[in-house]
Amino acid sequence: MKRHLLLPIVGLIVLIVSVIFYFNQSTYKNNSRDEVSSLIFETPDFYNNKLINENTLGEFYIINFFASWCKPCLAEHPLLMEMKKKGVKIIGINFRDDEENFKEWINEHGNPFEYILRDDGSIAYEMGLIGVPETFFILNKMTQKKIQGPLFYEDIEKYL
Amino acid sequence: MKISKSIYKLIIPILVIHISTISFAGVNELNDYYKTIRCLVCEGQSIQESDTEFAINLKEQIQKKYSSGISIEEIDQELIKIYGEEISFNPPKNHILLWGMPLIVLIIIFIFIRNKIRFFRRV
Repeated sequence: MKRHLLLPIVGLIVLIVSVIFYFNQSTYKNNSRDEVSSLIFETPDFYNNKLINENTLGEFYIINFFASWCKPCLAEHPLLMEMKKKGVKIIGINFRDDEENFKEWINEHGNPFEYILRDDGSIAYEMGLIGVPETFFILNKMTQKKIQGPLFYEDIEKYL
Repeated sequence: MKISKSIYKLIIPILVIHISTISFAGVNELNDYYKTIRCLVCEGQSIQESDTEFAINLKEQIQKKYSSGISIEEIDQELIKIYGEEISFNPPKNHILLWGMPLIVLIIIFIFIRNKIRFFRRV
């Protein structure tokens, strides 16, 4: 009798443990990293020294972290320029960069950004940045998609 | 007069030593903490060992927060909230089940095999 019960009991234990794991994991999944850092709206734009007006951004916009010292940023730059042409609003965040190098880089390659913020690393920390370039697709103030590394045409084609 | 001077002579070095040990303790605490934070762009290394932009920035941000009076525990909770559990080398205690699972499975297998052996012996 006992032997017949052994397998169902083992199955039940495995099931219970799996359920506990599932709920444990879901409590650790947090939504805070999906929110846009408030620092972005508290940091003035580099060129006009004004804060970002959230109303002018609309429901959908893009946040792109870049730096003049970052080579892959140059690779995705033409795609950002194309998105700007199609009317997509992009907030550029210049990550830990030298001011002169950054200005030179923008003058040389063009400015695809609606706003440019200079970041000493604080915004990057709050947004959970791993490296540059990194791009956040924002819809209704929440991150819908995050791309670490340079953008490819497939990543942006549905927004063009 | 002489006594007050000698007191100053005694107090000042004590204060200097005290302040320097406090700041060294802070640096040591931070350095020990950096060793528990995983560098997410250089697998297997802590941010203390790494010189990547990610690690440098994280160290700077942690130091800023620590200097502003935020405790290591609070910083740790915030880091896990932002980057997820993978940022920490110290698994949270709620994962005790995960670590205990292989042991549970082993015990179950052992009981199962022992029962089987007994069954065959009877046969």
